[in-house]
Amino acid sequence: MEAMNSSNFEIFSKKILNEITSDEALTLTLSAEETLFARISKAKVRQMTNLNQAFIDYKFIKGNKTLTYTLPFLGVEDDILKAVKKLSIAREWIKSIPEDPYLVRPEFYGVTKDENLSEPLNSNDMLSLVLDSASKVDLAGVFSTGDIVRATINSVGQFHWFKTRNFYLDYSLYNEKQKAVKSLYAGSHWEASALQANLTESEYKLSLMNRASKKIERGSYRTYLAPSAVAELLGTLSWGGVSMGEHQRGNGSLRDLWEKKKSLSTKFTLNEDFNLGMSPRFNESGEVAPIVLPLVENGELKNFLTSTRTANEYKVNSNFASDWESMRSPVVSNGNLSKENIYKEIGTGLYLSDLHYLNWSDRESARITGMTRYACFWVENGEIVCPIEDLRFDESYYSLFGDKLVDLTNFSEIIPQTGSYERRDVGGSQTPGILVNDFKFTL
Amino acid sequence: MNLKKLLDLINIEADFISLREIKSQTISMSVRNEVFEGLGSSLDHGLMVEVMVNGQIAYGATNSFDLSEIKKVAIIARDSAILASRYCLTKFNQSVRPQTVGEYSSPAKSGLDQFNPKDMTDLLMSLSSAMKIHDHLISRSCAFSIAETESHLVATNGSDIRQKIIRSSIGLSATASCEKGSQRRTFGDALSAQSGFESFDRQKLSKEAQRIANEALQLLDAEDCPTEAMDLLLAPDQMFLQIHESIGHPLELDRILGDERNYAGWSFVKPADFGSLRYGSELMNVTFDPTVLGQNASYFADDIGSLATREYLIRNGILERGLGSLESQKRLNLPGVSSQRATSWNRAPIDRMANVNLEPGHSSFEDMLASIERGVYMKTTRSWSIDDYRNKFQFGCEWGQLIENGKLTKLVKNPNYRGITAPFWNQLKMLGDKSTYEIGGLTNCGKGEPNQVIFVGHASPACLFSHIEVFGGGK
Repeated sequence: MEAMNSSNFEIFSKKILNEITSDEALTLTLSAEETLFARISKAKVRQMTNLNQAFIDYKFIKGNKTLTYTLPFLGVEDDILKAVKKLSIAREWIKSIPEDPYLVRPEFYGVTKDENLSEPLNSNDMLSLVLDSASKVDLAGVFSTGDIVRATINSVGQFHWFKTRNFYLDYSLYNEKQKAVKSLYAGSHWEASALQANLTESEYKLSLMNRASKKIERGSYRTYLAPSAVAELLGTLSWGGVSMGEHQRGNGSLRDLWEKKKSLSTKFTLNEDFNLGMSPRFNESGEVAPIVLPLVENGELKNFLTSTRTANEYKVNSNFASDWESMRSPVVSNGNLSKENIYKEIGTGLYLSDLHYLNWSDRESARITGMTRYACFWVENGEIVCPIEDLRFDESYYSLFGDKLVDLTNFSEIIPQTGSYERRDVGGSQTPGILVNDFKFTL
Repeated sequence: MNLKKLLDLINIEADFISLREIKSQTISMSVRNEVFEGLGSSLDHGLMVEVMVNGQIAYGATNSFDLSEIKKVAIIARDSAILASRYCLTKFNQSVRPQTVGEYSSPAKSGLDQFNPKDMTDLLMSLSSAMKIHDHLISRSCAFSIAETESHLVATNGSDIRQKIIRSSIGLSATASCEKGSQRRTFGDALSAQSGFESFDRQKLSKEAQRIANEALQLLDAEDCPTEAMDLLLAPDQMFLQIHESIGHPLELDRILGDERNYAGWSFVKPADFGSLRYGSELMNVTFDPTVLGQNASYFADDIGSLATREYLIRNGILERGLGSLESQKRLNLPGVSSQRATSWNRAPIDRMANVNLEPGHSSFEDMLASIERGVYMKTTRSWSIDDYRNKFQFGCEWGQLIENGKLTKLVKNPNYRGITAPFWNQLKMLGDKSTYEIGGLTNCGKGEPNQVIFVGHASPACLFSHIEVFGGGK
C-alpha cells in the first residue's frame, strides 16, 4: 500500500505544508496498517479479514486558534486535492471559534526514522501453522500480523517515522469444564518451535485446571498476581490515575499520594520507559517524551504524565505526554521474589494469572473492582490445590502497591498491546508479579 | 462511484460477493471552564468486500476506491476464504445472506451541512457558564458530537440497501472539589439519539447544566452510601447500563457459541435455556427493536441485509430469543434477530445489540417510593464491571438518595451496588410506568477480535429491586 511508504508521506506532507501561510501552522500524524486478522474459535477460522487502511490527523493553527481534522490517506495524487479542500474549510471554520489560551504550537524536535522490519512474513503460512498446531485443543482468540506505521511531520520541519512488522496470537485454551488458560505468542521474528512451545506450555497449564473448582468465600486472602494480572492493574491506573490534567480537574485518583497524605510501598517503582522499544516516543503533536520518566519511585510520586496543553493551562512543566495522559510504555521495577518461591511465599491463599473488566469503584480512594479470570488457583501450604470459581475483588491501589504489598518478583514479563479499536495498537508494558496480603474479595 | 457496476467488474469466482461502502463524517466540539477546548472533524470512507467460497466467508477492506485496488482486495479475500475453508468452523450457504432491497433515513432534520461553528461555540460556552455557580466547581465541561453515516450494500444475490443515519449528543460534566473531596455529576452521556442540531434545546440544556452543578456541590457534603442490603430504586439512566451489561451481552449468540471467549467472554446462558430459563421476575419484558423512531440504533436492515424487526428477547421473565445473526442462528438452530453489525467498513459484522429495551410496567414513581421502607435511589452510571460469563456485576452511580418510610431523604455519595444477573432480575419488585420511561443511547459498546466499538440504544422505566447489596466509597 502506497500510504505505508515514508517518501510518499513526506512528499504529500510537503505539498500540503507549502499551502499554509505565515500565520498558520500544521501538524500531520499518520496511522497506517496492512493487517490480517483471523478470528479463531474451537481452533477453527470463524472470520478472516485483510485490511489496508491509512488516515492522517491534521492539527491546524491560525493565529491563536486551532482545530483538528482527520482524512483518509491513500498515498496518491487525489489526496492533495482533498486535503487542500479541507484546509480551505478549516480556514472558514476557524474564523468563528475563540482563541485557545493554552495553545500548543508545533516545535522542531528533530528527525527520526525507526523501521523495525523483520523478514517478510507469510501470513497464510503462519495461520495454517497455528491452526494445524492447535488442531487437538479448543482454542479461541485472534491471530494478527502485518505492518504498522505511525508518523508525524509538521510545518517547522520535524519528521518522525515509526514502522514495525509484527504478529500476535492472542489466545486461550479450554477444557471440557470450560476452565481456561490464557496466553500470547507475539513478536517480530516468527519461529515455529516457539509457537509450539507456547502452545505446549498452555496445554500443561490447562491440565492443572482439570481438578474440581473450589468456591472461595468472600473475604481477604494472601494473593499472588502474575505479571499479566498486574498489567491489567496498570491499564486501569493509566485511565486517569497518572494524568496531571485529570488530577487538576478533580477527577484523578492519586490526590492523596500527590499531597503526601498517603504513600505507596517503598518496594514499588513505576516508570514510563521507552527503552522497552514497543511504542514511538513521539506523541500526537510530534513531541518526544523523555526516554525514562519516573512516575513513582520507591513509593513516592515523582511525576504525573503531563501534556503540553495541560502544562500551559496549569502552569506546570510538560513531559510531552499524549493528549490522554495515559501510560504508553509502563515498566514496573522488579523485587526479590523468585519464581520457585512464589507458591511457598503464598503459603495458603490465591494464585491469580489474570484479571478481567477492571474499573474504578471509587477514584478518590484509588479503589478498583474487577474479576479473576483464567488460570486462578487455591494454594495451600505452598502447593496448588485446585482452580477457583471466579471472584470479584474491590481493593485500593494504596493497598495493592502500598501497605499490603509483600514483594514483587525478581523477573518480569513484557506484555505487548493487542488492542485493535479503529487501528492495531502499538506499545506494551513490562511488569513483575506481585504478592499481596489480605487482598479483598467481595463477591 | 456506482457500487453495482463495481460489483460486476470484480470478476472472481465465488459463491457470493457483497460490497459494503461506508462513509462516515463526524464533528465534535468541547468547551471547559468557558475556554474553547477544540473543534474536530473526521471523514472515514472505505469499502468492505465479502466473499463466500466453499461455504466460508472472508473479508477484504480498503479505503481506496481504485478499481485495481478493490479487485486486489477481493482476490485476497477469496484466497483467504479458500484457505480458511480448510479450517472451517461452520459451512454456510447463501441462506445466511438474504436478498433485501430498501432504504432508510434517520429522522434527524438538521445534519452536518447545518453546522455553524459560532452557534455551537456560543451554546457550549453558555452551558459551561451555567455551571459556574460556585468556586468549588473546578471543572465545567460541555461537549457535543454529531455523526452522519451513509452505508450502501450491494451483493450478487441482488441485495441493494442504502441507509443514512445522523446521530448526535451533548454531554455535560460538573466536578466540584474542596478539602472534603471531589464529586462529579454528568448529563447526556447515555442519551445519544438519531437526531440532529434541531434537538439541542438551549433552555433545557441550561437547566440540566445548572442542576448537575448544584448536585455536584450537594454531594460534597453527603455521607457515603451505607453498606447494607436494602431496596434499590434505579433511574432509567442507570437501567440502560444494567440492561446493556446483564441482558444485552449475555444474550449475544456469538458469546454463547464461544467465539468471544478470549476477549469479552462467554455467557451464563446456555442454548437449552431459550424458551425455559426464568431470567427475571414476571414483570420483565425485553425487546430487540431497531424500528423505534429516532432511537440510537434503529435501522432498516443490519450489515448483511437482514431486515430489522421487533422481537421479544424476554417475555414475562422467561428467556425467548438471543441476539444473533443468521450465521449464529444456523449454528445453534435457534431464532435470533437482525443484529449482524460492524463498526465500520474496516471490520467484519458480528453479533451485536441494537436497541434493547425494557418495556414499561404499571407503577408510578410515587407508588414505588411509597412501597419502600428502607432503600436507596441511584441514578447516572459512574462505574461498571461484570464477569466474563455476565454473572457477578458491580455498578456505581453518581447520585444516591436514601428512601425511608416511603420518602426520599438523605443524600448519599459514591453509591455502588453488586449482584448476580439472574437472581438480581428475579428481585425486580416493581416496574415503572410510561411516565418514568426514558429512551437512551450509548456510543461506546466494545467487543470482538479484532476490536469493534458500536452504538446501541436502550430504553427503560425506573425499576425497583428488593434486598440488594449496596455500599459506598472510601477505604
